[in-house]
Amino acid sequence: MAQLGNTTGEKTPERVAVVAAGVVSPLGFGLAETLDSLRHARDCVAPVTRFSVAECRCKTAGQISDDGLLTGLTRNLRVKRLHRASHMVIHALREAMMQVPQFQPELTVIGTTSGGMSYGEEYYRSLRQSGNLRHAPTWIANYPAQKPVIDAQEEVLGFSVPCQVIANACASGTNAIGHAFECVRSGRYQRVLTGGYDALSELVFTGFDSLQASTPEKCRPFDRHRDGMVLGEGAAILALENLELARRRGASVLAEIVGYGISTDNFHITQPDPSGVGPRQAMERALQSAQRTADEVDYINAHGTATTFNDAVEGKAISQLFNGVPVSSTKSMMGHSLGAAGAVEAVVCLLALRHQFLPPNINFDALDDGLELNVVANESRPAAVHTALSNSFGFGGTNASILLRRVEA
Amino acid sequence: MSLAIAGMGWVTPLGNGVDAVWKRLLHGDEASATPISEQFGDRSYSAFRVPESALTGLVHPRLRRASLISRFAATAGLEALQAAGVKVDSQSAERIGLIFAISNGGVIYTKRFYRDVVETGAQAASPLLFPETVFNAPASHLAAILGLTGVTYTLVGDGAVGLLAIKMAEDVMTDQSLDYCLVVGTEEVDWLLCDAYRRWRLLRSAPPIEPFSKQKQGMILSEGAGAIVLARLPRRSAAEVEAGPITIERAHPGGCYRKRAEAEEILTRMLRDLTQIKTDFVISSANGTFIDQAEQVALERAVPNAICYTTKPALGESVGASGLWQVILGAQALRYGELPPSLHVEPNSSLRVSFSRMPVSGARRAIALSSGVNQQVAGVRLAIR
Repeated sequence: MAQLGNTTGEKTPERVAVVAAGVVSPLGFGLAETLDSLRHARDCVAPVTRFSVAECRCKTAGQISDDGLLTGLTRNLRVKRLHRASHMVIHALREAMMQVPQFQPELTVIGTTSGGMSYGEEYYRSLRQSGNLRHAPTWIANYPAQKPVIDAQEEVLGFSVPCQVIANACASGTNAIGHAFECVRSGRYQRVLTGGYDALSELVFTGFDSLQASTPEKCRPFDRHRDGMVLGEGAAILALENLELARRRGASVLAEIVGYGISTDNFHITQPDPSGVGPRQAMERALQSAQRTADEVDYINAHGTATTFNDAVEGKAISQLFNGVPVSSTKSMMGHSLGAAGAVEAVVCLLALRHQFLPPNINFDALDDGLELNVVANESRPAAVHTALSNSFGFGGTNASILLRRVEA
Repeated sequence: MSLAIAGMGWVTPLGNGVDAVWKRLLHGDEASATPISEQFGDRSYSAFRVPESALTGLVHPRLRRASLISRFAATAGLEALQAAGVKVDSQSAERIGLIFAISNGGVIYTKRFYRDVVETGAQAASPLLFPETVFNAPASHLAAILGLTGVTYTLVGDGAVGLLAIKMAEDVMTDQSLDYCLVVGTEEVDWLLCDAYRRWRLLRSAPPIEPFSKQKQGMILSEGAGAIVLARLPRRSAAEVEAGPITIERAHPGGCYRKRAEAEEILTRMLRDLTQIKTDFVISSANGTFIDQAEQVALERAVPNAICYTTKPALGESVGASGLWQVILGAQALRYGELPPSLHVEPNSSLRVSFSRMPVSGARRAIALSSGVNQQVAGVRLAIR
């Protein structure tokens, strides 16, 4: 990707700074709570409360409390009626904008998989069961995937900018950040907001359960006893800016995004190619785009869903490219938030780079016999982290990796 | 950055194939409405459906269980690539980007999947249907059929998403490692969508769609796909020249509006931006809803002399596919120097509408303008070299 400034004599690529970030996830509201949960290896997965899971194999998920989401939001009734996905994006964007109040984005690129799906569910159930359809216009109006982004822009920025909403399944968040990175890197844009969001929904929960991809047990990425994923939810926003411009205005730079790789493997709509070619190509392309070597990577935040297939394939690809780099899947602590996952995990990488520690992979007992990985087992630990790689892979064989670098003050 | 349109593909309620659909539009044909009903619904709706004949000949193991939306997309995408003369092999597989524009997605299978959950319980949920409910399933199927291994994005949004996908392609093509980008817009129609749009007061019970009408009686939903192959201009291949000299001269990122008045402002600003160079005609997205008025105000302010054409009375509102349809129409009109008749527009409209088949020979530039009903607008400028 992004073969700019190469032998064709084209323009030198711009450097891309992350100047602000905001996050809400089962790990907590905001960067500080998220950091605290990561450092203390908190298990934030709990029994599902939003809908009945009595007939599902899996009974747990990483969830965000509605009380927490509504706290601090405007008293405006219109805002309260928005979908909870909108509330999540508002929280994340607000936290980011508090760090850079003068930030004027030209574009927003956001990843999601299901938009306001739970409103679609309410609408269908009410229709099917001849229920009360008084709220149908609200459900319908708040269902589209772009709505939470536009809501958050209106509520936090007070104005709207063009938005691109990427739905590349579970890779959406990383794809959104990667595309936003390339927009700034190419010099076509100076400032872009990016990230991802997804709220838990019955349809999606049941879908993963039907595939037997989710587990009735704990989520144990890369463990020999792993049995599947648990779902999660959340939102994260990153403000990207041309590094030169950010420095010129004296902005605080949280990290630099230096590389992005995307690949598509066409093996199966829900299963990765067992050879690991898709994830390997995404990681190789991210390194190539950053003009870095595998030896320079200090930490990998793996996609690590804890499904048999994903972890085997990702583990194989990582061990083919990297030699003993510490790896963890923070989904073990908060579940898989689908379209938000790549964005939330990019924030996890930012925190690892800023605070010089390795986030943990909890519920880990013993490494799968077929894998050769250096898993950050169960506890976070201090480490020199200068470069971090974040992976996201999704249905449809879509694979994405981004590479982030610590920026010395 | 200008990009050449190297090939196009079209699946519509008036049939498939760019030239075949174009001829029917020139002839003033209008798709026939089909009634759609639902077991538990108390009313039926009218929609423009793609005839089964449009999908014959498309056989691939990957599409065996795929939804209609994926089949429409595959048919249009393959036609566009063939028209462009682009062959996918191990060398080119990662040098062709794929960008999909979708609004409602695979709603038929999504409804069927969730119906089983609601009626029978979670244990009846189908693991075969669930993957088809995911927004990027159509893109995944087409990538697999073609063997593409590089950049694949699915963009979701409202009726503007097709033009936003072209804008995204323009951004993605900055990357020198891509030679082509296949942009596909696709949508399928279902009773549930019709009911939702009706409750939102955007749907009328039966045709015709009356664009720019003060009555704002609403739209008729339709389905299908449109696809274009974009190529970087400096690398003109023989196939591209053969496919035609039409370019996407500029794609505008548009904006998001909250109220209709704001839509008017954004559309006016965007049109002024896009028409800094003389523009001969505009392919409007007017569909008989509230947004037409915003579009009309913007057109009157920014390009009062441009000829205006809208295809939605003939083909319906295909939401995710509509932007690509507009671009195909604009390209055909520039190429052949003629606009089809705009159907069911009030004769006393203040806009310069192509009420009948209208020659535009010598036209050099056209705008495709998409005003979605869910807060997004976008535009592109096409040119003939």
